[in-house]
Amino acid sequence: MTGTEEPRIGVFVCHCGHNIAGTVDVAKVAQTAAGLPNVVFATDEMFMCSDNGQQLIREKIKEHRLNRVVVASCSPRMHEPTFRRVCEEAGLNRYLFEQVNLREHVSWCHMREPEAATAKAIDLVRMSVARAARLETLPVKTVQVTPRTLVVGGGIAGITASLDIADRGFEVVLVERQPRLGGNLINWTHLFPTDETGAEVLEPLINRVRNHDKIKIFTDAEVVAFDGYIGNFQATVRETKTGRESHHDVGAVIVTTGFQSFKPHGYYGYKITPDILTLAELQEMPRSKELRRPSDGQLVKKLAFIGCVGSREPGVKGHEHCSRHCCSAVAKAAADLRARTEEVVILYQDVRTYGKGHEEFHRLARSRRVIYSKFPERDKPKVTLEDGRITIRWHDVLADEDLILQPDMLVLASAMVPPDTADEVAKLFSLTRSSDGFFNPEHIKLAPLTTHTAGIMIAGAAQAAKNAHEAAIDASGAAAKAVGLMARGEVEIESTVAHVNPDLCSSCHTCVTACPYHAISMDTSRTPEVALVTEAKCHGCGTCAAGCPSGAIMMRHSTTDQILAMVEAYLCPPPAAQEVRAQ
Amino acid sequence: MSSHVLQEQASAEKTWEPRIVAYCCNWCSYAGADLAGTSRIQYPTNARIIRVNCTGRISPEFILAALDLGADGVLVSGCHPGDCHYTSGNLKLRARWALMEKAIEQAGVDPRRVRLQWASASEAQIFADGVRTLIDQVKKLGPIAREWR
Repeated sequence: MTGTEEPRIGVFVCHCGHNIAGTVDVAKVAQTAAGLPNVVFATDEMFMCSDNGQQLIREKIKEHRLNRVVVASCSPRMHEPTFRRVCEEAGLNRYLFEQVNLREHVSWCHMREPEAATAKAIDLVRMSVARAARLETLPVKTVQVTPRTLVVGGGIAGITASLDIADRGFEVVLVERQPRLGGNLINWTHLFPTDETGAEVLEPLINRVRNHDKIKIFTDAEVVAFDGYIGNFQATVRETKTGRESHHDVGAVIVTTGFQSFKPHGYYGYKITPDILTLAELQEMPRSKELRRPSDGQLVKKLAFIGCVGSREPGVKGHEHCSRHCCSAVAKAAADLRARTEEVVILYQDVRTYGKGHEEFHRLARSRRVIYSKFPERDKPKVTLEDGRITIRWHDVLADEDLILQPDMLVLASAMVPPDTADEVAKLFSLTRSSDGFFNPEHIKLAPLTTHTAGIMIAGAAQAAKNAHEAAIDASGAAAKAVGLMARGEVEIESTVAHVNPDLCSSCHTCVTACPYHAISMDTSRTPEVALVTEAKCHGCGTCAAGCPSGAIMMRHSTTDQILAMVEAYLCPPPAAQEVRAQ
Repeated sequence: MSSHVLQEQASAEKTWEPRIVAYCCNWCSYAGADLAGTSRIQYPTNARIIRVNCTGRISPEFILAALDLGADGVLVSGCHPGDCHYTSGNLKLRARWALMEKAIEQAGVDPRRVRLQWASASEAQIFADGVRTLIDQVKKLGPIAREWR
């Protein structure tokens, strides 16, 4: 079926048990639908998504030679794929299906108004029938996938992802901005829970990466140009020292650009003396049996920590999130250092040692008589230098007392924030960023590793503040996504894309600048040049079509005609429908 | 006009319910409207949602055509700025919006008949409240036929 013949529409109204039928008069909706233009069959049924319901659709497509199917049931965000598949099974192109949302948008939100809800349901069905009559068959397209993955960032996540992919026999191009692999972690000297150094944990992995014949490593390098679409990306890598550029065709990308440790200038006297430092800076101090303060090398007798520095600050852009690793890392550091000092005090706003084994560190710290003191959220500790000594004044919430401490060293557990380069990376790979500046996943719960750009994954602290353990889990997950794509060898792409009618194009370039994906270029082989859509790069947002002053751009499956037909069907119902409604 | 006709007109206006065309983007506001249903948040029945991929798809033509065909109000609901599924479609719509509001005003239609709102997939209440706000606004303005000439 081509979708160009006279529309023969079947309308299937779903009861969804009592969910829809309890509010909406579904029989009346089906009856009304039967009288609409081009509708040759209409019925109501208990559960359209059930095996029986699906079978009914397939049978009626055959029996009535239906070439359009409208199902009035739940949200298309739920069952559109189901019903599209049913249509395909009956030989009908998936794009000739249209769904009406009678549950989420009608029965569930108008439960006390059955009559008005039924009228709304009838309107919505009439609108969808009008659209259905204008639906067109679209091809289901596939593209080949280049069996090579680009991994951007060589920290724990990038290393893990690269090894996972290479071990499954696929090629990896690993690009790291710094001169060596290992990210933040390799600089740290006391990792929890085992107290190994970052180097001890990472070196074996880095050696494996270096010696893997499937992994090509570029350190001191960055991706400077990136183009293409799922399965067929082209990346240009520039080596900073030599300026040498190389081009790589890849089928998938994993972005593992990680985080940077927030330098809390303006917080708690940071840097007014070298003895006030961040937890990351403490972590980078050489391992030693003694704890000596940076300013004069004296032994530290009293040590203090302050938590949530630059984290959990409502209203402060980029600092509203919990950095998640700090509570556990502070507990671990305090428990370790307690033996080398006379007193360790942790000033905290809340303690969230949520990870596996982390609460045990918290307990260990307390059992070693590390003192925890809670300060009020709205009245943070004040840190000054008095006679050259660090002086902290705060209010202890639980004792309800004002306290003073003069520690030899103060460690600020500062936030994990996105690296300064996050903006460039976001632009390069068309990623979006959340309010805390980390990259957005495709879906926070259901698709945390993929992004809105098909074929590009994110893993580790590039996605949100997280610890190394979580970053490694992410990396394996993202690697599995990339391998899945490469192993299949081809991938389906949406046909719901923009199309330029060259005869109408006035060469104004509006669409070229409007497209967020650089999917539109000018076809210079024509005179005058006209806009041309690279369909595989088009995501179907329609921003170009709405901006085109000549109406030259058609959005397939979301044509202006289809949309305005719905508006017209709602506001100017055909006479037949009005008669039925009047009965 | 006879008093009978006037009475009929008055009663028609009493029972008049505004007709609202609501364009929602698939990723944020349509999903937000879904969540409103799933959460059983109750709001007036006047709006008919039309799903588009992105608010960036919405050209001024869609809004003007709806008003022209007799919609008493038009709602456009999309992802928050900076949170667009397609990176920046909602920003393009926002850029067009100011101009379009002017055009509506110049055509003699009260711009309070159109409403642009941002509601994410998790902001069911904000979506429902937005629908209610527009309906209340439009109810104060009365049927569009009074203005659109």
